[in-house]
Amino acid sequence: MTWISNLFSRYWRNVHLGVAAFLVVVLIYGDVTVNGLVSELFVRVFHYPFNTIKTAVAELTEVSQENDRLRQALVDASVKLSQLEEDRRENARLRAVLGFEPPAGYGLLPARVISVAGERVPLSAVVNRGLDDSLVVYQPVINEDGLIGRVRSISPGFAYVQLLTDPANRVASRVANSRGMGIAKAHLSGSMFLDNFPVQEEIYIGDTIITSGLGGVYPAGLIVGTVKSVDRPEEATFCEIELTPAADFYSLDELFILRPMDP
Amino acid sequence: MKYIPYFIYMVLLGIFQVILRDPTTIYSAHINMAALLVLMLALYKGELAAMWFGIAAGLLIAAPTPQLLGWTALVYGLLGLVGYQVRGKLNLESLYSKLIMMLGGLIVIEIAGLLLFGTDSFWLRLPTVALSSAIYTSLVALLYFLVKEGRVTIKKIKALF
Repeated sequence: MTWISNLFSRYWRNVHLGVAAFLVVVLIYGDVTVNGLVSELFVRVFHYPFNTIKTAVAELTEVSQENDRLRQALVDASVKLSQLEEDRRENARLRAVLGFEPPAGYGLLPARVISVAGERVPLSAVVNRGLDDSLVVYQPVINEDGLIGRVRSISPGFAYVQLLTDPANRVASRVANSRGMGIAKAHLSGSMFLDNFPVQEEIYIGDTIITSGLGGVYPAGLIVGTVKSVDRPEEATFCEIELTPAADFYSLDELFILRPMDP
Repeated sequence: MKYIPYFIYMVLLGIFQVILRDPTTIYSAHINMAALLVLMLALYKGELAAMWFGIAAGLLIAAPTPQLLGWTALVYGLLGLVGYQVRGKLNLESLYSKLIMMLGGLIVIEIAGLLLFGTDSFWLRLPTVALSSAIYTSLVALLYFLVKEGRVTIKKIKALF
């Protein structure tokens, strides 16, 4: 057996070369089936597993990019939705004021609130109307709910409105039904009261309070608020009446400035 | 056990062919990892190892095109054989002699690849694909030699900064 081993080791290199040459010749000139089998073997072992990984990574990257695109689209849609929602609210407000009639002898000048000032309670507002619109100090300001305040000072492009919530702003008022008169004014706490209302006059919770037209600032008939509570202390001259303002001073947006119409 | 490293080389070659070949391609110049590995084996291992690995590497890279399996295996097998003979005859010791052998082998294998995989616009593809890929792969080989011979170390790279 040793001689066989010696023979093999002497010709070992040539055996390898022969086998390799045979293999190559078979692959070049042999049957297509053999090439197909060898090809499939190598593809399955050395290509397919890594190709699967490559495809998975590519898909993951694509999904990640798609995710980013969708996220961006979601933000865009959200912004558009917010804009649409704001437009819808504005539309509703404008529809509500569309049929709004000013008091006789007055015209309406629409104005938009630019800013509101005040610490706990809004006390004044800035509107986008001014000297350019021929505003005059003390012109009444209203919205579709009722009285808001009056023009306090005017600049070329804007004006300051003193709101009813400002304690310095007092309004000569009366009860719409009984015609009893008083002075509506607010406290710094935000509550509104009807002062100087005699105890013998009729007034009930829920009564509407309107401007009396006295004083020359506000025309008669503008809604100030409704009676929230009535207290008649013994031996007192005036009632203690708390009002609920007609307008919501915390959500002011579109306002109207009342301007006397030329006779 | 002694065949495990060669199988690992084949796996690495498969990973390179499928995943890394495209990202590492610069314009039309690519790294011919199969030829690089075969020539490295011819330089540092035996003749038969280089030849058989060359045949296997040829089969691996030509697997998607079964009609070229034999020719590719032949070319890469011969590359291993000839590389080993050149190494033995010229007694390559210096870095540059090894590098020149690598470059020569790579140019030959790239030209053979052009002839095997498509002879359309051969003269255009010779400089743009074959020579550029051979040079690109030689640069990778140079980097390997520099690291292997200790001329480039992490310590030296850190010292640069």
